[in-house]
This record gives sequence, structure tokens and C-alpha cells, in this order.
Amino acid sequence: MDGLRRHKSMFLLPGLLTLFLIIIFPLLFTIRVSFSGWNVSNPQMDFIGGANYTAMLHDSRFWASITRLILLAGGTVLIQYLIGFGVALLVWREVRGRRFWRVLFLVPMMTTPVVMAAIWQTIFHESLGPVNDLLGMLGLTRIPWLTESGPALVALMTVEVWQWTPFMFLLLLAGLLSLPKEPFMAAAIDGAGTWRTFWKVTFPLMAPVSVAAVVIRLIEASKLSDSVYVLTSGGPGSSTETPGYYLYIQGLRDQQTGYSGAMSLTYLVLMIVTLTVVAALLTRAFKLKGDS
Amino acid sequence: MRSRLYPIFKYTVIALWACFVAGPFFWAMTTSFKNANAVQGGPTYVPWAQYEPTLTGWRNIFGGAGGVDVIDPFLNSAVVTIAASAISLALGSLAAYALSRYRFRLGFIKNSDIVFFFVSQRIMPPVVLVIPFFYLLQWGGLLDTIPGLVIVTVALLLPIAVWVMVDFFNGIPREIDEMAMLDGCPPFQTFVRAILPNSLPGLTVAAMFCAVFGWNDFFFAFRLTFTEVQTLPQAVVALNSSIPPWWTLSAAALFGVAPLILLALWVERLLSKGNLSGAVR
Amino acid sequence: MRSRPYPGLVAVAAAAALTATACTAQNEAQHKPKEKAALFEPGSQISYEKYGKNYPATKVRDVPGTCSYESISRKDYSGQTLKIISHAVPVIGEPTQLHAKQFEEITGGNVDVVNVPFGELHQKILTPLQAGQPAYDVMFYPSLWIGDLAPHLAPVPEKYLNTTGMKDVTQAYMDVATWDGKVVQFPVDGDRHYLKVRADVLKDPKWQAQYKEATGKDLKVPTTWAEYQDMAEVLNGEDLDGDGKKNYGSAEITKRDDLTFSAFISRAAPYVKNPDVKGGVFFDVETMKPLINTPGFVRALEDMVKARSTWAPGGANFGLGDEIFSFGGGQTLLSYSWDDAFIQAQQPDSRIRNTVEAAPLPGSTEVYNRTTKSWDRKANQAAYFTWGWTSAVAKASSHQEMAFDYLCFFSNEANTALDLTIGRFGVNPYRTSHFDPGFWEKQGWDKDVAEAYVNTLSGMEENPNRVFDLRVPGVNQYMSALANGVAAALAGQESPQRALDAVAGEWAEITERIGEDKVRSAYRDVVALEDKS
Repeated sequence: MDGLRRHKSMFLLPGLLTLFLIIIFPLLFTIRVSFSGWNVSNPQMDFIGGANYTAMLHDSRFWASITRLILLAGGTVLIQYLIGFGVALLVWREVRGRRFWRVLFLVPMMTTPVVMAAIWQTIFHESLGPVNDLLGMLGLTRIPWLTESGPALVALMTVEVWQWTPFMFLLLLAGLLSLPKEPFMAAAIDGAGTWRTFWKVTFPLMAPVSVAAVVIRLIEASKLSDSVYVLTSGGPGSSTETPGYYLYIQGLRDQQTGYSGAMSLTYLVLMIVTLTVVAALLTRAFKLKGDS
Repeated sequence: MRSRLYPIFKYTVIALWACFVAGPFFWAMTTSFKNANAVQGGPTYVPWAQYEPTLTGWRNIFGGAGGVDVIDPFLNSAVVTIAASAISLALGSLAAYALSRYRFRLGFIKNSDIVFFFVSQRIMPPVVLVIPFFYLLQWGGLLDTIPGLVIVTVALLLPIAVWVMVDFFNGIPREIDEMAMLDGCPPFQTFVRAILPNSLPGLTVAAMFCAVFGWNDFFFAFRLTFTEVQTLPQAVVALNSSIPPWWTLSAAALFGVAPLILLALWVERLLSKGNLSGAVR
Repeated sequence: MRSRPYPGLVAVAAAAALTATACTAQNEAQHKPKEKAALFEPGSQISYEKYGKNYPATKVRDVPGTCSYESISRKDYSGQTLKIISHAVPVIGEPTQLHAKQFEEITGGNVDVVNVPFGELHQKILTPLQAGQPAYDVMFYPSLWIGDLAPHLAPVPEKYLNTTGMKDVTQAYMDVATWDGKVVQFPVDGDRHYLKVRADVLKDPKWQAQYKEATGKDLKVPTTWAEYQDMAEVLNGEDLDGDGKKNYGSAEITKRDDLTFSAFISRAAPYVKNPDVKGGVFFDVETMKPLINTPGFVRALEDMVKARSTWAPGGANFGLGDEIFSFGGGQTLLSYSWDDAFIQAQQPDSRIRNTVEAAPLPGSTEVYNRTTKSWDRKANQAAYFTWGWTSAVAKASSHQEMAFDYLCFFSNEANTALDLTIGRFGVNPYRTSHFDPGFWEKQGWDKDVAEAYVNTLSGMEENPNRVFDLRVPGVNQYMSALANGVAAALAGQESPQRALDAVAGEWAEITERIGEDKVRSAYRDVVALEDKS
């Protein structure tokens, strides 16, 4: 038994300790700095009690950005899941040019987000970009993509969907390809149609992959900030500001390290709680679906 | 009835999605051959017919006057990405194997909590990590060095590696371990001889995610280096001036994605062979 | 009970502090150059031609002096490395690289340049300085950050202050480079906001008639913001230059976290800078009470909100780059900001070359008086010395001589003359000798265009009614808050008054956080610059 314990630690500890050692100082630093007035002209670990936290409670921009994130991250991940799953189903089995489609659909994920955001800005440029030009050719009205809050949110979500649907697509396609054959044969014998087979067999079998993919995407999507920075810099007004971007402005651009520390920790706790709840809910929802 | 309409529907959807996916690349491709006058003249798509193409954008990313040289940054990016991915995969698959095969219990902490600890590292907003990382690397004299960057990148990639590999190992039948054990292999040998060879697909997916996130990291690389070490995203962003050279940015974006497309081809190969079965579950 | 010690953190902090002191101690030993033979004859011909076809074939003469090609090539810096941070390529970043390459060639030293986008520059420069990490020897940055950076900068040595080039820098830009009586920034660029118009449209009888009919006034270069608005409004959405595409009224910087704050200050300057009232535009320097929500600023913001209808599509999200493309590309009639868009319009391959004109920023017919709390009815105009690019050497650098030699070489007469002609370099006139229409005519500018340009720039130097940037520690926080308020009003989320009230509230908090005395003493210097004129 001792041998086993030693072995299992030997496997786990290198990775766990490495991560722990890299991450512990930043975490402690952030906790400590959130109680200090560290800012651009006074970069010091003084102690100002919970002043940063009190200020944060009254910071409507911060809370508004969090509410907005729920819409943005939740919305984009849902769309990514639907499209990713749909497209994965389409190129799952017999389809002409399968390899080409599969590779093509993976490529957007491999581009550098900050660089792609700059390209997207040129795409959505209202007079020099192609989107409005194409809309004009089709006889549709031009859309103020980046200067009105509704279209600006759509533009941001478009960029996110473009960049990260491939992530969802890959996970789901890999999941589909690894499904066992037997349940499908059984369904075929029962004479189930395509639709029924999907709901009764494919979807339930895909539930674990789906939950994992959605949760990991939610984590990544919650950091949304590069595209906001480049496309709208939070505007018009503050209608596209996300916590990631607001933290960037406060923490790095204005260098209010103490205050941004307080916001980050709060954000971290909120996210961990939310994600745990979401993961639990999703697991249950998918299970129920499968059982019914 | 259904069977006749379905292929039309299928190929229409695939084609539409393909257009959306490829559109930005087409736009970047055509923009990369423009100059300021062609850009200011409004959106155009076809070279020669609509605008006079120039190679300025492409020259600028290969050390042309008024640009940057992307070759050195490319190599730095490659070294950092490969080193950090390799370390993350090694440590990550060991830890994932342990979490998949053994039960850990420490007070209220269970296996799933440890997995969550790994994954949760990706929730932390990068903005707050970067200042302490700066002091940490300064303390170790590792600012503006490749090892320093590798350490930080490992912290970003390890959670992904663990997350992918735990799921993957859970999908490998325990009988394989048991058979190896019965042959008298100690646990580590079992892992190396019996499990790893069966894990190539999972390792591939994990490697791809590591490579994607490592290759494209701008945030940390940018703030933890000064002049000695420049990575590719930094070199590209160095072109984002107050007169934004759309052409050079486009060329750089296309150049940056090229090596990863090879990776995508490889991943697709494994997918097609059905080798990824159980890669993600 | 203050500052509860965390043992781990204290240890790390101590270690960091030790490293820092060790580094500072090292700097006592400054690296010096060796002597070598000159590579250039005095007064030889200089050209950038050999560096690629992106550069003009123009030739100029090396002007003898400390910073000339000839003098610098006598120095042997082999074995030494200079580390430089600069703005993204091309604006200031490209000349930084080019002169680094030349400096390497003629001194044998090694120069590493890193280029960084505007939004990241402040943090990238300041973090290592504050951590005591000698990351960069030379830094190029916007001059308004002097309040944050001054404590870390090496004063420019006497030797470089006495060069012919430095002596020729206009008083305004020497003032901008000075902190606490010491010159700590090395002037390499002079920047200001001015008005840019499409002169060809103004001279077109068709548009003159249309404008007359609509407003009863003659179509000429606007001298007040009200006229600017009228012109932009009446002529917006027409094909003004007959190229088959619609033109628009006004292009201005409106993207929130881009440089909107500078655009807004330009619009506010004539309403808030009353030549009869001393003691600060942004704050009352005695009480440090923010003035940003006083009627003058509110009026400017109301103007800006009204101007929305005259912007090109997407004009409510224009960064500086978009403004440059929009005016410089011939899309808009009017614009105001730095030189870039104007110089872009005047590039040899530009479609609108010599159809543009420069003029001073519009003024107003009344100006707010904060002592009497009423509007003074009189024509007013103020010169806004908007921040420009500057450079400095880190105090912690152990290669200070090499660093100053580099900057002095960067800005020597020959290099500056060539740099001025390359629009994308972003190097704009800052020496008295640059205000010479003949120089610009030689570049192919029409006589009127060159004269109006030079008069606009030199006129600012003589204008006694000046506004300078808020050059205090934490300037980014103030400007972020301001941009946020302006953006909220432009987006219709708040009324201009309420938006600026919120900004004033934030400014008071920022001042409290940074320390009222610290901010006041810095702001006193700004006020002194404004009031002495």
C-alpha cells in the first residue's frame, strides 16, 4: 500500500507542484495587493484596509461589465456549441471533400487573437471594410457595426464565434468519432429515424463531451478582451466593456494595481462559483435529457 | 423525399460555414497586397482589376524598411512553444494518469477537486497575474529570457494538458494497466510501455491545444520581455501603429497561422483514421 | 497596525530591493566610448536611399557639430549594447529603427530596438523602471507622461543642451521637455493640434453658393467651432470632389480609449482658456478643484455631440488611424488633430495632394470666466500644445553617453530634415529652422499650402493664449476618466453636463489617491507655462 501511495504521488506531484509553485506567489501577491493603494505613482504595498473593495462595490462599470459578460460569454458559447455540433455532425460521416472541410474548419482557432482582431476591425470598418460593402451590393442597408451598441455586440460575438467555434468543433467531432457503434445499430433495428436516433442515441452519448467542451469554452470566453480592445475599446460609451477589458484598463493602462487586484479576486470567486454551478446544472440537464 | 433534399441542405450549410470561415482569410490575403491609397479608396477585392497590387506588406514582415523582421521572433516562438508544450504534456499526462487511475483524498479534497484546481488556473484574469509574474521572474533573473517565458507558458498550458489527458485516460480500459502489471511492470514502466503508446491521439489533441495557446500568447510574452526575446505575436503587434498598416498586419497574420495549419493537417489525419477514439470523453 | 508584514512577500520584496540596489550601484560605472577615425567628411551628403526603396532619394548636407555624422562616427562603441523602446512601426518606430541601424554602422555599437503599440507603451516603460529593472536605456514616449517618468530619467547633460540643434528647438518644446527646472526629455518631435480643411472644396463656386444659401455666410476656413459645425453639416454627405463617392463633414478621434481625450481638449480650448484668468484650465491650482465640469467644457462636449451627424460612417469609433485614413484619403472635408493626416494627404502619391490647407484650431465668440462665473463675450482662440513624441534616457542606464549620443544623432540637422519629409515617420517641426516654407516647397508642396502650414505652426509659438496637457503623475487615469465621460455623452448614455460631473468626481478621487500635493506641485508647473506667456 505504501508503494502505491508513493507511486501515485510520484505521478501527480511533479505537475501539481510545478503549477502550485508558479501560481502561489501571484495569488498571494494579488490578495495582498488588493488591500494596498498600489498605483502608478505610488507602487507600494501599504495597507489601506478594504478601501478597494468598498470602491468596487460602488463601481457600476465593473458590475455592468459582469452582467454584460453573462450575455456575451453565454451567448457566444451557446452559438459556438450549436454551430460546432451541427457542423461536426455534417462532416462526421460520408461527405465529399471531408478532409478539406475538417482542416478548414479548424484553422480560425490557430490565428493569434490580437492580430485577428485587427483584421476584423478592418472587416467591420464602416466605410472601408467589406461587410458594409457587400451589404450594399445586396441592396441592404449599411450597418453601423462599431458605433451602435447592438451591432457592436453582434460584431464582437461574430469574431468570437469565428475564432473559437473550431475549438468546439474539434472536441465534438473527436467525440462523435469515438462513439461506439452498437447503440446506433440497435436504434436502426428498432427502426428509429434520423431525428429520433439523434435525440435518443447520439445526443445522450455526447453529453459528457458536451459538458466538458462548454465549460472549458465558458472559462476561456469569460476572459474576452482582445477583440473588445481593438474593435470598440469598450464603446460606444461603455456598452461593450467586459470585465477582462475593464481590468486591463484599470490594472495595466491606468496601473491601479491595488484596485484591479481587488476586482480580479472578486471576479475569480464569482467565476469559480458560477462555473461550478453551471457545470453541475449542465451535467444534470444532459442526464435528464438522456434518461427521458 | 427527405433523402433527396438532405444532401442539398448538407452541402449548402457546409458551404455557407466554409465561406464564413474562409472570408477573413480572403480579405487578409487581398489586403496584404494593397497600399495606403488602395485601402483609402474603399473596399476592393480583385488585384489588378480593382487596385494595383504591391508587395510592400510582405516585404515589411521580412525585414523591409518600415517593417519588422519576423524570422527571429518566429524561431523564439517556436522554441518557447515547443519547450513549454513538451514540459506541460509530460507533467500533465503524468498527473492526469494519476488522477485517472488512483483515488486521492485529503480532507474534503477529492480527485475531481484536484482536476478543478488545474483547470481553474485558466479562470484567473491574466491582468493580475502579469505584475506578480514580473516580480517573480525578476527575482530569478529570468526576465527577458526564453527560460522565463517557458516557465510562465507552462503555467498557462499545464491546465489544458491535464484537462484533456484526464478525460482521455479515463477512456483507456484499465485492463491494459492490469495486464502490464501482471507482466511484472512497475507502475512507471506500465505508464511508459503500455499507456503512452495507446495515448498518441490524446497527446495529439493536447499538443494541439498547447501549441495553439502557446504560439498565440501575446499577453505574457509581451510584458515579461524587453528586447532580447521577441515572439512572433509581439513582432506583429509592433506594426500596429497610429497609422495602421492594414497590408502588413494582414501579411503577418497569414504568415503566423501557416505553421499551425500543418498541425491541423496532422490532427485531421489522426481523426480520419479513427485514431482519436476516446481522445475526448 | 498598518502594513501587516507577510513574511514571504517581505522576503521576496527584500530580494527584489537588493537586486535593484545592486543594479543601481553598477550604474556608477558608466561605459565610455573609445576614439576612432571619422567615417564622414565634414558636411558630406546624407541620404536614406541605400536603406530601401521606401525612402526618398533626397540628399541633405551633414551640419557640423556634436551630433553630426562626422562627430558621431569618431566614437567607437563596439562591444556595447543600447536598448531602446519605441512606438510601433512606422510612426516614430521606423525612424528609431533606421537611426539605430545607422548608429550601429558608424559607431560599431549594438542597438536593440523594440516597438510597442501606443496603448501598451506606458505600462511597458514604467513597470521595469518602478521595479528597478534596467530594461531600456532609451525610451520614446508621448511627452505628457513626464509626470510619471521624470523621477526615473537622467537629465540631459550640458554638452547636449549646447548643440546647435538643441539651441534651435522652440521655447514651447523646451518647456515641454523640462521638469523641476531640469531638461529631462530630449526633444525629437513637435506636436500640436490644428485644423485641416479641403481647400479645393472651399474654393468651388458650387459649394460656396450652396453654403451661402443655407447659412447666409461665405464659405471660408472656419474660425470658430460654430462655423466648423455649420460647414460640416451643410456639406455632409455630398460628393464634394466629384470622384463619385460621398464625402463627409468632419473626421475626429472618437474611439474611447484611443486619443479621444486630446480631441476633446482641442474642442474645449477656446471656451475654457480665458487669457484674463490665470491659475489653470483643468484644475484650480490653489484648491485643486477639478474644472472639467465647468460650462466651458460642457459647451465643448455639447458641440461634439452635435457634430455626430457630420461624421463619416463609423466616425463615432474613429481612432487616430481612422482619422488619418479618412481625411488623408480624401473622405472628409474638415478635421483637426496632429500633423499625420495632413502629411498623409500631402504624400507624393496622394490623390488629394495640394488640395488641403492647414489653419489654427477654431476659436469661439465667447469664453467662460471662472472667477466671475459668466461668459465673457469676446472672440477667443487658444493654441493647444497637444503632447507629441519625445525621448529620454533612463537614470539607471549604464550606457548614458551612448544613449545621449544616439538621441543627439537621431535628431541631428541632416536626419531631422530627411525625417520631416517622410509622413509616416511622425516627426514634425519643432525647431525654428523648420518653419521655412521653402523647405516644404522643395518637397513638391504648392506655395500656398506650404505657407499656410508653416504660418499655422509658427503662429502657435507666438500665441500668448496656450493650453498644455495635464502633465501630472497619473495622467493616464485622469485622461481615461475623461475619455469615458466624453464617450458616455457621445453615445447618448449621459447628458454632457452629467457626464462631465461624473468625470469631475472621478478626478477628485484620483487626486486624492495619488496625493494632492504631488499633483498640485506638478500642475503648478503646467500652469506656469500657460500663464507666463
